[in-house]
Amino acid sequence: MTITLILVFVAFLALVLLLTLARGHASTLKVSENPAEHIRSVDVEAFRNLIDPDEEEFLRTSLQPAEFRKIQRERLRAAVDYVSCAATNAAILLRLAEAARRGSNPATAEAAGKLIDDAIRLRFFAFHALARLYLGMVLPGTRVSSVRIAESYEQMTRRVVMLGLQYPTHGVSAAL
Amino acid sequence: MTLNHLAYYYLWVAPHVLQSILLVVLVRRGLHRQFPMFVFYTGFEVLQCGVLLAVSQRLSNFGPVYVQVFAVGLALSTAIRFGVIYELFRHFFQRYPALTGPGRFVFRGATVLLLLIAVALAISAPGGAADKISRAATYSALDVTTLALDRAVTMLQCGLLVSLFLFSRYFVLSWRSHAFGIALGLGVFASTELAISAVRLYVTDPHNVLDLFVMGAYQVCVLVWMFYLMSPARESQYSLKKLPDHDLEIWNRELQRLIQQ
Repeated sequence: MTITLILVFVAFLALVLLLTLARGHASTLKVSENPAEHIRSVDVEAFRNLIDPDEEEFLRTSLQPAEFRKIQRERLRAAVDYVSCAATNAAILLRLAEAARRGSNPATAEAAGKLIDDAIRLRFFAFHALARLYLGMVLPGTRVSSVRIAESYEQMTRRVVMLGLQYPTHGVSAAL
Repeated sequence: MTLNHLAYYYLWVAPHVLQSILLVVLVRRGLHRQFPMFVFYTGFEVLQCGVLLAVSQRLSNFGPVYVQVFAVGLALSTAIRFGVIYELFRHFFQRYPALTGPGRFVFRGATVLLLLIAVALAISAPGGAADKISRAATYSALDVTTLALDRAVTMLQCGLLVSLFLFSRYFVLSWRSHAFGIALGLGVFASTELAISAVRLYVTDPHNVLDLFVMGAYQVCVLVWMFYLMSPARESQYSLKKLPDHDLEIWNRELQRLIQQ
């Protein structure tokens, strides 16, 4: 009986999830109608500082373990915000590039295609980075291995690609 | 003929009549080039329905021969449906080359994970209520096995379709309306069938009420396909139609520079 209940619950959940995602598919289009409003500006330098392994090491050696864990959690929380912002910006750029790709100009379509590829890569990197950051928040006292942390920091730097898009134009590029 | 019989035959035949219309439309619109597996699946379902109807009316009247033909047809139909799901994943891989790596990883990972769950489910689940119904011993076992396999496979397909939607949602991918309709219809049907197949484990169904639910869900699924596939192809529409070319070039240069850092 338990299996039946679980399966019925899972099936119901899947149905609700499918219908919600299908409805969301239509509503996400609205984001592109005024994309600049949805862009969240990210400070690249501040982010790099936040994920600097040397900084983390310095904090680890200078602070009491309990205090370090508390501060490290805060830093990782801030890093999560940065990565989330970068991922959101990538999603908005992806939408814009999709719109541009449908244009008649082949050069624009090609540039838009490249932008789509890069934005997708950024979203993928962001997914990994967030998983690692949450793990670090759960186990802030432990070294998740400095090499791996360094790698994930490197990856996160890639995730915040949008931060490098300082662009003095109206609309999206200005909002980045 | 009782109301139950009438509903049964209506829900059995009507979706397949609609599917035969859909098949003609798909071929005339040249969608068989874009979705060959789905067109093949539609054709197969129409053919299967015809064969099963003929068998039930002329040969065995839902007896052993019918069960055997049904089991073979279900197995083939299920296999083709996997092909349709893979076709939907491939649809994204082709449109977004950057997705090929993570996309294949998600498809394979989800398949392996769901397969393990499905196998565990098939092993741990009881034989089903079907064996409580007095049927000829020759085909009762086949019936029960078919239902158990169908349950496991439906779970797998339902999970893959949810993964596909989650995947496209996370990467904010725009669907072409045709692919979206195919996935939505299959997803609605798979999730309903999963729930019903689970209920079958403990509930005997002498009046085929559960069958009616599944057939009703299939009818909805076919209507969803008709709605999306008979409408003109649409894509996500944006009010921001055109961006200055130099914006895109600079954004892309910056993205590549940072990714390669």
